[in-house]
Amino acid sequence: MITIVSGLPRSGTSLLMQMLAAGGMTILTDSERKPDVDNPRGYCEWEPAKLLPRQPELIDQAEGKAVKVISQLLLSVPKGRDYKVIFMERPLPEILASQDEMLRRRGKPDSVSHESLTSAFKDHLTEVSTTLENRPDISVLRMGYRRLLNDPIRHSQSIKDFLALDLNVEAMARQVDLSLYRNRSSS
Amino acid sequence: MFGSYKVKLEGELLEKIQKCVEAGSYESVDQFVIRVLERELDKVLPPDQGNAASKELVKKRLQGLGYIE
Repeated sequence: MITIVSGLPRSGTSLLMQMLAAGGMTILTDSERKPDVDNPRGYCEWEPAKLLPRQPELIDQAEGKAVKVISQLLLSVPKGRDYKVIFMERPLPEILASQDEMLRRRGKPDSVSHESLTSAFKDHLTEVSTTLENRPDISVLRMGYRRLLNDPIRHSQSIKDFLALDLNVEAMARQVDLSLYRNRSSS
Repeated sequence: MFGSYKVKLEGELLEKIQKCVEAGSYESVDQFVIRVLERELDKVLPPDQGNAASKELVKKRLQGLGYIE
C-alpha cells in the first residue's frame, strides 16, 4: 500500500504529512526544500515526485510509506499498485492568496487574475476528481483543511480509520498549530 | 453575464448532504453541490476549448511555485 497526501499546493498537505509522521507513519521525504516562512515546519516533500510524469515507477519507493504528491502529479501515478490518497481541500481564495505570497517570496509574482486562476484550478480539480473516480486502485479520503484545524482529534481518527493503521491520534492532532493558519477567507 | 440560479434542497437529500459535510469531506453544503455538479458536467459536456488554456495556467502557476518541472 502506498499512502499519498495530495491536493493543491498550500492546501495543507505539509501539515498532513507532519501529522502522519507524528502518528508513527514512515514518510518518504528529502530535505531539498528547506523550511521557510511559508512553511516554518518544513514541506515534507520528495523531490523525485516531480519526475513522475516521465518515470512513474519511481512511486514504488513509497511502498509502505506516505508521500506528498500534489494534485497535478497525482495524474501520473501508475496503475498496478494499491494507493490510499488523502486529498486536502481548502477554499480556493485562501489557496491562491497563500500561493501569491509564496510566489512573491520566490521572486516570481504571477500577474494572472484570481478569476482566471480560480476557473483554471476548478477545471483542474474536476479533472483530478474524474480521474480518481475511474481508478479502482485508488481509495480517496477528502479532508477539509479548515475542518481539520477545527477538530484535529476527530479528523485524525478519521485518517487513522481510513488508513487502517495503528497511528497515535493524539500525537497527530498535536501537530495542528492554528497560528500557522494564515490567508483566511470569509467563505 | 453568467447570472445565478438557486435550487432548494430539503428533506432526506439535504440531510444526507449535511452528513457528508459533517463527515469532513467537504467544507459546506454549497461546496458539495458545486463539486458534484462540476463532476457531472465534465462527464456530460465535451471538453471546451478553454481547457487547454486552463491547463497551461495551472502548469505555469505550479512551475512558478516549484512543484513541477
